[in-house]
Amino acid sequence: MSTSRRNFLGRMSDGLYGAALSSLLAADALPPAYDLRPKAPKLPGKAKAVIQLFMNGGPSQMDLLDPKPLLQKFAGQAPSRDLASQIRQVREAGGIMPSPFQFQKHGQSGIEVSELLPHLAKRVDDLAVIRSMFTTHIAHDFALFIFHTGRMLPGRPTLGSWVVYGLGSENQNLPAYVVLDDPKGLPINDIQNWQAGYLPGIYQGTRVRSEGMPILNLKPDEEYPAGVADLSRSMLHRLDAAHRAGRPHQPDLDARLSTYELAARMQLEATDALDLSKESEATRERYGLNDDATATYGKRCLMARRLVERGVRMIQVFTEGNVWDHHNDLKKNLTYCCKKTDQPIGALLGDLKERGLLDSTLVVWGGEFGRLPIAQSPGPTAGRDHNPSGFTTWMAGGGVKGGTILGSTDDIGYKAQEDPVSVHDFNATILHLLGLDHRQLVFPREGRNERITDEYPVRILSQILR
Amino acid sequence: MLPLVLLTILGAETFEEQAKPILQARCAGCHNARLKQGGLSVATRDDLLAGGQTGAAIVPGNAVDSLLLSLVMNGKMPKSGPPLRPEETARLRRWIEAGALTEGEQVVTRLVSEREILAPILGAKCFVCHGRREQRGGLDLRTRASMLKGGKSGAAIIPGQPEQSLLVKRIAAQQMPPPALQEQYCVRTVDSAELEKLKQWIAQGARADDEQPAKVDAKNDPAVPAKAREFWSFRPPVRARVPDLPGRTPVDSFLLEKLAAKKLTYSTEASKLTLLRRVYFSLTGLPPTPSEVKAYLADTRPDAYERLVDQLLASPRYGERWARSWLDAAGYSDSEGGVSSDALRPTAWRYRDYVIRALNADRPYNEFLTEQLAGDELFDYRAERPYSPRQADLLAATGFLRQAPDSTYSTEQNFLPERFDAVAAEMEILGTAVMGLSLGCARCHDHKYDPLPQRDYYRVSAIFQSALDPYDWRIPNMECGGVGAKCEEKNLRFLPDLESAEAKSVQAHNAPLEQQIAEIEQQVEAAAKPYRKSAETVDELIKKNEDLRKQVTELRKGLTKLRNSLKPTPGYRALFDMGGEPTPVRILLRGDPNNPGPLVAPGPPSVLSASLPNYEAIPPPYETGTSGRRLAFAKWLTHPQHPLTARVIVNRIWQQHFGNGIVKSAGNFGKMGTPPTHPELLDWLAVEFVESGWSLKKLHRLIVTSAVYRQSSAVSDAALTQDPANTWLSRFPLRRLDAEAVRDAVLKTAGRLDETEFGPPAPIDVKPDGAVLPKPGKLGYRRSIYVTQRRSTPVTMLDAFDAPFMSPNCIRRGESIVSSQALQMMNGEQIRESARYLAGRVIDAAGLDPAGQLERLYLTVLSRPPSPAELTAGVTTLDGLAAQWRTHYTANPSPEPIAAKAAHMALATVAHTLFNTAEFLYVD
Repeated sequence: MSTSRRNFLGRMSDGLYGAALSSLLAADALPPAYDLRPKAPKLPGKAKAVIQLFMNGGPSQMDLLDPKPLLQKFAGQAPSRDLASQIRQVREAGGIMPSPFQFQKHGQSGIEVSELLPHLAKRVDDLAVIRSMFTTHIAHDFALFIFHTGRMLPGRPTLGSWVVYGLGSENQNLPAYVVLDDPKGLPINDIQNWQAGYLPGIYQGTRVRSEGMPILNLKPDEEYPAGVADLSRSMLHRLDAAHRAGRPHQPDLDARLSTYELAARMQLEATDALDLSKESEATRERYGLNDDATATYGKRCLMARRLVERGVRMIQVFTEGNVWDHHNDLKKNLTYCCKKTDQPIGALLGDLKERGLLDSTLVVWGGEFGRLPIAQSPGPTAGRDHNPSGFTTWMAGGGVKGGTILGSTDDIGYKAQEDPVSVHDFNATILHLLGLDHRQLVFPREGRNERITDEYPVRILSQILR
Repeated sequence: MLPLVLLTILGAETFEEQAKPILQARCAGCHNARLKQGGLSVATRDDLLAGGQTGAAIVPGNAVDSLLLSLVMNGKMPKSGPPLRPEETARLRRWIEAGALTEGEQVVTRLVSEREILAPILGAKCFVCHGRREQRGGLDLRTRASMLKGGKSGAAIIPGQPEQSLLVKRIAAQQMPPPALQEQYCVRTVDSAELEKLKQWIAQGARADDEQPAKVDAKNDPAVPAKAREFWSFRPPVRARVPDLPGRTPVDSFLLEKLAAKKLTYSTEASKLTLLRRVYFSLTGLPPTPSEVKAYLADTRPDAYERLVDQLLASPRYGERWARSWLDAAGYSDSEGGVSSDALRPTAWRYRDYVIRALNADRPYNEFLTEQLAGDELFDYRAERPYSPRQADLLAATGFLRQAPDSTYSTEQNFLPERFDAVAAEMEILGTAVMGLSLGCARCHDHKYDPLPQRDYYRVSAIFQSALDPYDWRIPNMECGGVGAKCEEKNLRFLPDLESAEAKSVQAHNAPLEQQIAEIEQQVEAAAKPYRKSAETVDELIKKNEDLRKQVTELRKGLTKLRNSLKPTPGYRALFDMGGEPTPVRILLRGDPNNPGPLVAPGPPSVLSASLPNYEAIPPPYETGTSGRRLAFAKWLTHPQHPLTARVIVNRIWQQHFGNGIVKSAGNFGKMGTPPTHPELLDWLAVEFVESGWSLKKLHRLIVTSAVYRQSSAVSDAALTQDPANTWLSRFPLRRLDAEAVRDAVLKTAGRLDETEFGPPAPIDVKPDGAVLPKPGKLGYRRSIYVTQRRSTPVTMLDAFDAPFMSPNCIRRGESIVSSQALQMMNGEQIRESARYLAGRVIDAAGLDPAGQLERLYLTVLSRPPSPAELTAGVTTLDGLAAQWRTHYTANPSPEPIAAKAAHMALATVAHTLFNTAEFLYVD
């Protein structure tokens, strides 16, 4: 039975159809089926899962992973006309601003890392640092749409949706695409950061909360007493069985029944997957769960590892709102963000590696754009404004060559110079590492084969592949 | 790697050295000077600059924007043969980046045309103050002549002398655009490439383009081959002969003919109760009440069903049900979308109400469309005040093409690209919802499959330019801010209705609140005064003074609450002619506002126009004038001979009734759409529809009284093999209730549905767990169509059952079957609460007898009485449940009486179980 014939009427389902359905498949051309069963990639890919550590706001490249000693030399000077034409808050713009942080070389690769990221520094030999990213919009909202969906419009599928559309999931009892958002607030664009757009709704990310009930409606506010639940269940079974028996050859009814089974299995498995009390004290300590500063992010990094172990395909971990948006007091605020995330990220990379999961798990880090080398509201509490022309991201594991630096920005860290990497190059490379060809991963819609990279020129970042 | 090394040694960066060998070998087969496929030759550098149909192939110095490079890099070109090797693309990239020089050249000099200066540079950065609405300093920069005339400080340009030209001087000194105003006016500093271009243009004599829009003769248009017009959907529908097969209506004759060819016929006729539930949901979106079920069962007249259909079509619930389908196609939303703040549209509901009223009144579809496209051109909207109810209706109707996401209310996204995007989304809605064309595909290039040249996209958008002009943009919402930032009527894309009774009551409500707000601001001002040294604003002052900040914070407490309780000015989120001459429309090469091409005049797509009278905009004869462009377009669109208008709407109505349209791709009747399964039926319906006065109610009646609609959903063995996907309608499709029907039916059966019509939408709440629900309270139980539809926070329950995300619209909904639906129905508190409510209602109506209760419950939820077996089993379950609840309450005592509560909860549990059955969720 071919997958493409499983589903009548092109409907979609996250459940498994009953075996009896195979008898229904006739010779007529039937539209493709949409489900979440695991699908083998067409190309060999090392990565089986992706953890995207997304830093909404725009982390400052020249203060973290792209050191620019020349900023010191030019400190206070006015920017060039071209840089000036990119400034949004013209009245607040100041001169060139050096980084207030120190950099040091680390690991065998000698990649320079800011003092704010001591834990990541220990893992540099696993990282491919991309210093020449650029994007095409200067505002968060649009830059986020571009980063996640390839275009600056809402309503298109995110990378995660494409990934689970292409590969399904190894675990049918958990959502294929999980989003771990921060209890302190959603990123800009809220739930649109994991929307399925025009792809069927089953490919949408599922928000899993790290506090309270993890999945919406996973349990009722108040459970029925066990005896009541049993009677209700058997009555429902009786009614649905009779209804079903009177309506042969209606595949949707089977599909619906299976969603009830899946819901029941999900109640058990999700609860178990997210139960961090099953982790050792050493692991909890390692992820920073005992320290208020790192606990919430550490918790979600640890959950991400547990979900990857269980075969979840795509996981996005967000930080609170757009907390990386450092328009003012960069020194204080960037320190806060790094303190919150650095130890958990270091722990996640180390833990995945020790468990032998890093080879098959691609971890990617970055925000929607970077920051300008000039000061915003100059003074002791200066910040930096948005910069789409150059920023830094990194990838690790899943077939990525560790200890690599790709590309560079100009002398002051403003604009991608060598090997500029577009968001499309970045996303296509993630798909490539998963064994998916961005040109082949298409969704037919209104007579057009849609894909995440659209018609943009794309190159796979072969320099960072193992 | 050898070639790269060589290249460095030679240092030759010319076309002949670098690009020509590659292009000759790989591209010249099709793109030579003779064949010029796609209009492009690659023989010389200048050929590449001249480009082809999609614009220049290269942009010197800018590899990223060079079409040539993007096509070869993403494997689109060469069409035959392997893709270019990475070292070949690297060579091309390098040559372009180095300035794309040709032999003997140092720098490329080419003539800069006026169009490159006017729209992308001055239009984007200067017109806001020196354009159509304002001429600060007496300066208008819209034409060469007005630049020469200049303003108070003299001529803006001196041809041939860029450095002496005031325009250049001011820009070079970064005085213009004034840094202090850039943020507020949504402009940015002119960058060095733009300044350079401006200087070149002036240096070259500031030549004006002497260009007229190209004439398009729709009947003889070289851009649209005659053969392309032969495609079935581009020819007017012709009433087909009704096949000689008896059915209830001619519709059946067409369908039965196709079935007979497969040796099939319809399934048996559906039972009376099945049909009752089906037609209630079809026409009103709600289930019948127990008394309606009983009344229908008791009606034994032969035409009982037809009478019921008439009764349902006359019900106000019909308009609410079918407005939803139109609003999907129109992309209705109560919020702007686009950016994260997703601002609310406080008056969008007037358009929703217009649609409901028009459908209930069975407004003929041709008028319905005309009102929505050009309601403002049907009367003198500037002069008439107060608006009569009819005029108010016409203005509300034009909300149709104001539904697309529009991010330009944010000062950060009110630049040319976002404005063009907002227009493009409206064009896409117009295309898919009304014309069945993927018009949006022709925004950046000629349509790949349909005979829609890129020119036609811009011609259609020019029809709307008088209302949606990206170079004379108005922010979408009524709040002040953004461009102009002045609370003047002329800056708003909103028509306030200040003389209506509603406006007076809003003013009466707001006046005391506004006074309180003003008083607070005065106090703040008084507190700030001692701290002020120059003209700083209060907000600037409080950044510096902690004491003042504390005082101001204290004073401003409650200010937000006061502001939030202000009612919005009543008025219309309308599409209206802004008067005067709109900016001329140019084809944007590759859809890029920085790349303007030839001028076009307004006009409809040429491929559809051959059989229709010429499009000709005649301005209505009003003093204040509108362009008449949209009114003429509506007239063209609703011509009885129009190939698509009637076909598209009858097909979509069919789709709503049967799950699939006769053309399955209901938004695309073009070449890549699905061919009709029953072309003769589609055309017969389209002609019948037009000839019966474009009446939607008549169309519904025709469909639902046909035998095809009245058959059962049972699948026969023959149908299973011959018609597995039900393409030929050998049975009625079993279908899940749509999102709104699920929620509305739960509320209705529970006796909680608030049937209040019209008005502002019910507010929604986002819970800490992420669930979005209508705010409980007075408005919390209204029909789903009256619940706020905010793009960023879709109501969880509706979202789970496939209510669409509008981006920009939805022609056909998904029908997913996913576990979140099961979780919602099993565990969602709204469902459980409704079940408890329903149990109470049943006890009120049927008393304490378990059999009577079950009878009533089944009638209410499933619109049928229980079978004797179900009744027996049900009574036993009810008993068992009551015992379980009694045990539970005894073990967990509360002050409430145990037995009564247990009996109520037992019935509530059964009700909850019924809500979870397939029978409730699916309509046979």
